[in-house]
Amino acid sequence: MLSKKSARTFFIAGTVITFGCFIVLTIDTFKKIPAQTNQHNLSESAIRGKHLFDQNNCMGCHTIMGEGAYYAPELTKTYEKRGAKFIEMMLTDPEKMFPGKRKMVKYNFTAQEKQDLIAFLKWVGEIDLNGFPPKPDLQVSQQSVSNLPGNQPSIIQDMCMSCHSLGGQGSQEGPGPALDGVGSKYGVEYLRRWLSNPEEVKPGTEMPNLELDKETIDELVSYLSKLK
Amino acid sequence: MKYNSQKVAYWFFALSMLLFGIQITYGFIMGFAHMGFDVLHGWIPFNTARAVHTNCLVMWLLSGFMGAAYFIIPDECERELINPKLAYVQLISFAIVGVIALIGFHFNWWEGRKFLEIPRPLDYLVVINVLIFIYLIGGTIWKAKRYTTTSIVLFFGLLMAALLYLPGMLNTVSQTVDSFWRWWVVHLWVEGVWELIMGAILSYLLIKLTGVDREIAEKWLYVIVGFTFLSGILGTGHHYYYIGTPKYWLIIGGVFSALEPLAFLGMAIYAVKVKNLGERNHPNKMALAWSIGCAILSFVGAGFLGFAHTLPQVNLYTHGTLVTAMHGHLAFWGAYAMIVIALITYALPQLTGRKLHDSKLGVFAFWSANIGMIMMTIAFGIAGVAQVYLERKLGLEFLSVQSEIEVHFLGLVLAALVFSSGCIAFIWNFVKHGMPRDTQIGSKVYE
Repeated sequence: MLSKKSARTFFIAGTVITFGCFIVLTIDTFKKIPAQTNQHNLSESAIRGKHLFDQNNCMGCHTIMGEGAYYAPELTKTYEKRGAKFIEMMLTDPEKMFPGKRKMVKYNFTAQEKQDLIAFLKWVGEIDLNGFPPKPDLQVSQQSVSNLPGNQPSIIQDMCMSCHSLGGQGSQEGPGPALDGVGSKYGVEYLRRWLSNPEEVKPGTEMPNLELDKETIDELVSYLSKLK
Repeated sequence: MKYNSQKVAYWFFALSMLLFGIQITYGFIMGFAHMGFDVLHGWIPFNTARAVHTNCLVMWLLSGFMGAAYFIIPDECERELINPKLAYVQLISFAIVGVIALIGFHFNWWEGRKFLEIPRPLDYLVVINVLIFIYLIGGTIWKAKRYTTTSIVLFFGLLMAALLYLPGMLNTVSQTVDSFWRWWVVHLWVEGVWELIMGAILSYLLIKLTGVDREIAEKWLYVIVGFTFLSGILGTGHHYYYIGTPKYWLIIGGVFSALEPLAFLGMAIYAVKVKNLGERNHPNKMALAWSIGCAILSFVGAGFLGFAHTLPQVNLYTHGTLVTAMHGHLAFWGAYAMIVIALITYALPQLTGRKLHDSKLGVFAFWSANIGMIMMTIAFGIAGVAQVYLERKLGLEFLSVQSEIEVHFLGLVLAALVFSSGCIAFIWNFVKHGMPRDTQIGSKVYE
């Protein structure tokens, strides 16, 4: 039977050997992190963004690189998925973007701070994370998607689908109604007025004024009116 | 209680109970928020509730460990603490730092780094505080009449825990590097040196409660902590799968994490075996129940449920979901909360002279808290698996998935009610024991 002395030797030897390996691997990891994380792209702005992310405990609700709390969306690919404009509007007034949904603190960031956070999220999104987050491999490709008119403006995916659904994709339970058939319901002029200032058309609406530029509105109106 | 200075342990335990109560309260705030009732959002947003919940946990466990050390070390070393007054200074400063941190979280004053939210200026105070603690414990062992393996392992665990706080204070600009060092603290604490502390406390309790031969108990202590480090140190790799560190961590983390349950399994088998081997029939049955329960539930929560989502192929999908919360709750409860509660249950009758450990309240506390926590784990598990499937496999939007799984949080809150009623019973029983009494000094009753 094992003696106390040999048990102690096992403990000490095991600890020393594994800790030694751990140190070697740590040193090697630090050599490789700059390339894997594109450290050359880590701008002053992105670093300020990281500190803002820490100072406001964003991880207390969100996950980033899968780490944090499980109350709010994973942010690693947010820049790629939503784009800078969406993130900026979300940081300006979270409740305006998701009325009646789970709440986020309104932080009163300056314009520069918002840009810093966007730069940070962009940098994080470009890190090689060994395949995380995984692509949803059981995603049902919606039949009706193929029936949608072509040349969909990117803003539909980036912004509209957060509240509306279209062709079975996007937010099924609102707060916005489905966009299918919106072209036969409303005329071009109405859609234009609605997108420019929803509050003016329907006071008290939950639809935020997205402050879109004329070009985007034109693009959207032309696309939406094709949804018959 | 043999020595006067052991009394200070009582106050650390009392602080533990207070922080534990706050932790549970804020847990309910989060549970209700997940169900859609976030009425407190304006005053206590989710990130505040979360920081209070996890930091209270860390603080009450540390306070419990410190109390345990102040209780065990004089007994093992057969002498008073080298400076009991300094121990009270350390207690009060620890409580003050904790309270300031908790209040700060309500005013957006923190470092938003999971589990290490305490703001930097307070980190330095924590370091000073812990240095005093290490000096007191180390000095007492240094001047001891006898050296026991239990006291050496306990001291080594506490010392390493203090040293490993430091990597968390490195300033970084990269999220990847930040995360890398953060796990040096968090992982090497909970899956490394805290297990040493837990193993030593468990060994002490089993020697006292079952009368098992010290040589046998301490031999197994070495084997268990040996397995802990053998698997746990390189097991840190399971936090380095998906944070921008090299791919070899997937293999190293996967293999060594798979070995991690061994230490807990060893602990569970050893506790049950020793219970049957021991010839002593100690009257404090509840302390033994908590000790054995701790060994078993730590295997289930930390060992088995940890293993369940630690393989890289699985973790790719479960990483950053409620599955982690499932494992986290039973792991912390089984391994660390229960060992602190076991020691408190053992120490209280000695400190206060009141024999309330086997009261109906005490028995109810044990069953209700444990059954409630197991139910909570199941609720988190169901919510987590549903979330993984809907969000990671089917690709639904985060918020849509959250509204789908709201109902499981009703289950969670109901389970939490069962759990909390047990915890309230325990805290109430603690209060009913009253203050430590000088007449107990030198008394051999209930040792």
